[in-house]
Amino acid sequence: MTILTVDNLVTQFFTRSGVVTAVDGVSFDIKRGEIVGLVGESGSGKSVTGFSLLGLVDQPGRVTSGSIRLGGEELVGKSDRDMRAIRGARIAMVFQDPLMTLNPVITIGAQMRLAIRAHGAVSRRAADERAAEFLTKVGIREARARLSAYPHEFSGGMRQRVAIAIALLLGSELIVADEPTTALDVSIQAQILDEVRELAAESGTALLWISHDLAVVASLASRVLVMYRGKIVETGPTSKVLAAPQHAYTAGLLASLPAMATPGTPLSVFRPETMTVERPEPVALPPSPSAGQPFVTVTNAVKHFVPSRTLGDKIAAKITANPGQPTVKAVDGVSLTIAKGETLGLVGESGSGKSTLGRMIAGILAPTSGTVTMDGAPVMEGGRKAGTRIQTVFQDPFASLDPRMRVGDIVAEGPLAHGLTNKSDRVAYVAGHLSRAGLDPGLATRFPHQFSGGQRQRIAIARALAMQPEVLVCDEPVSSLDVSIQAQIINLFLELKRDLNLTILFISHDLSVVRHLSDRIAIMLNGRIVEEGITETVYETPQDDYTKRLLAAVPKLSAAA
Amino acid sequence: MTDASAPRAISPFRRFWSRFFEDRIAVAALIVVIVFAALAFLAPWIAPQDPYDLAGLSLRDARRPPGYVGSGGYVHWLGTDAQGRDLLSAILYGLRVSIQIGIAAGAVALTIGTTVGIVAAYARGFTESVLMRVVDLQLSFPPILLALVLVAVLGQGKMQLVVALVTAQYAYFARTAYGAASAERAKDYVEAAAATPLSGARIVFRHLLPNAMPALIVVATVQIAYAIALEATLSFLGLGLPVTEPSLGMLISNGVKYMMSGRTWISVYPGIALIILIVAINLVGDHVRDILNPRLEK
Repeated sequence: MTILTVDNLVTQFFTRSGVVTAVDGVSFDIKRGEIVGLVGESGSGKSVTGFSLLGLVDQPGRVTSGSIRLGGEELVGKSDRDMRAIRGARIAMVFQDPLMTLNPVITIGAQMRLAIRAHGAVSRRAADERAAEFLTKVGIREARARLSAYPHEFSGGMRQRVAIAIALLLGSELIVADEPTTALDVSIQAQILDEVRELAAESGTALLWISHDLAVVASLASRVLVMYRGKIVETGPTSKVLAAPQHAYTAGLLASLPAMATPGTPLSVFRPETMTVERPEPVALPPSPSAGQPFVTVTNAVKHFVPSRTLGDKIAAKITANPGQPTVKAVDGVSLTIAKGETLGLVGESGSGKSTLGRMIAGILAPTSGTVTMDGAPVMEGGRKAGTRIQTVFQDPFASLDPRMRVGDIVAEGPLAHGLTNKSDRVAYVAGHLSRAGLDPGLATRFPHQFSGGQRQRIAIARALAMQPEVLVCDEPVSSLDVSIQAQIINLFLELKRDLNLTILFISHDLSVVRHLSDRIAIMLNGRIVEEGITETVYETPQDDYTKRLLAAVPKLSAAA
Repeated sequence: MTDASAPRAISPFRRFWSRFFEDRIAVAALIVVIVFAALAFLAPWIAPQDPYDLAGLSLRDARRPPGYVGSGGYVHWLGTDAQGRDLLSAILYGLRVSIQIGIAAGAVALTIGTTVGIVAAYARGFTESVLMRVVDLQLSFPPILLALVLVAVLGQGKMQLVVALVTAQYAYFARTAYGAASAERAKDYVEAAAATPLSGARIVFRHLLPNAMPALIVVATVQIAYAIALEATLSFLGLGLPVTEPSLGMLISNGVKYMMSGRTWISVYPGIALIILIVAINLVGDHVRDILNPRLEK
């Protein structure tokens, strides 16, 4: 039985610079109890489609034509008041950030009670009963007691479960979930996906699961819609779409996934201008240099963050003898080595201390105890970074470039300050490194805001390369990028590895990216390294329990139903 | 990979102006500020009379209404004051003094305050605590009180007045600079600069300062207007400048005692000039703040 029919939906935004058609004639339907995946990259219009279904498109945007029928009832053109009655009761939404939907100053129980009683006269006791029942359903233990907790007392994964429980609470016919597990660690994501699958089967609620992550959708949805530039370019049963994509875009998207390629080979890249997939020639990488002499050595490194105390805290501590916030042991005794020319992948979930370890190796943070040396010399001296042989690429290319400097100045600043180039040669020097990073040197006079995310990451890489480093510390360098752009940047790293004999520390939470690039990997948990070894060995025969669980939690494309 | 169709380099500075000109009121206010500044600057050449030249004044012309043709043979468009000064000339010269003092005090307070704030934000730890607690302490006093006390201690004169205004105002710049620089310091690009590594001075001057500047420019416009108002207040109370160099505040003060006798122009016209100037500067400042506020960025 079809519960939702979307026909030729068009949503437009009327901005000062013209009309932007975010959703351009989208049609699909969803049956009762069905899980449908809506996949696309940023700007494809997938989120706007979700918002349109709930009548939540904000000014200056609105649904300009088409129809959305929920159980035969037309939703387009309904007043806000009517839509409010439908939202929650018949269609519910789960967002990427549950803090957006949960009121921080009201207990979870009170919020759920409000939701229940807004749509029907139910006694307080019965409402609590029902709230606890649904919290139990989404896997929250001792639900009764947790009703009196505030949102901040839940972890990220728990909060998302609460948001899902609230969406289920009123027996909605359809739940629209917009990237609900994107901000979560893989192991928590895996649990939530399992629970969602069960709940949908059990309650008959249909689910529109919006995500950029094909693997997540593959492990969950029976049918998938692929969106590109406001249009649905492909639709079909998930397994069929994944096995034999009909549209060039879907094929490109799949081909650019590191999980689909042999580790160490360049990834296929989708070219939107020509709508073709480019398959680069395999490059011969030098044999894994893991056996070489240690080049970067970390010995028993510890980093503890002691919460800074104000005068008031100190007085309070004196009076009450309460130690206050405990010291955070971000890195708690790590030893590792990286050989010259080797790429070490550092994997861990959020809070594992991988970024802190990376910053110590990059010479940004001084270890509390232990040593970090490169080529025999300490990385930091007297609280400052010594030398320029280690350079860094950060996660967020929007934040890591000074917005007020031209790209050429950003790249030239370090080399000028350290005498690697001079005023008369700088233009050529910058041009060389921009081209090395795959950018047109003619763009050197522009400002960072004029570039896309992938281009900005290339600028950040060019800035690091311009310092002629021997070691590159990369902290989640592709995590904020779309899959097709991510493939290009991964290819760039492969080229750099081959051409410049760089020693790379590659930090990421994404196991497939790390596997693709690294010679060896180290897995971190709670500030310690739990397992370390040759990449393929660790992936094929993990020894540590945590590594096994982590690998099992990664959604796989082949798991498609 | 590279986008050939992308627009040419648009500097943040150009973006700022193109957005500034979208608001007509702000553009009008900016024109008013520029016209007033130009009038003040050109006062010695365009004013009908030199109000400081006491020999050129005649008591026969005193307290004449607007439009009166005096002994000098020219029209006193805004009338004359109790000493027989041409009010239009006095206002032009008064504007000159007010704007001079406002800009001088604003510029010095900006420099000192920014240095204090950015040093505190970059150094952190003990230096930060000491500098910012001094600033906090000072912010807890009303600036007018502080300025009054200082003028009373230092005596009259332009220098003394500027010192008093700077002391009363630098703390606002320090607070703003500290807030902006602390926020910027936590961003990745500053960490990237430290990871290169670049020297502390370079990070402060090339990265923190330019990025803290928008907030400081906003505070500067508002504080210049406030300095002008503060100076007028002090002069009105007779604590500002000597009588021989009348600023707008003193002109208003001089005319107050004639208000009841119907000779309102002596106070009202300098007052109008002062209001227009301060409102115009504030309108410009408000709009600049709206443009530079990232939350309102479209």
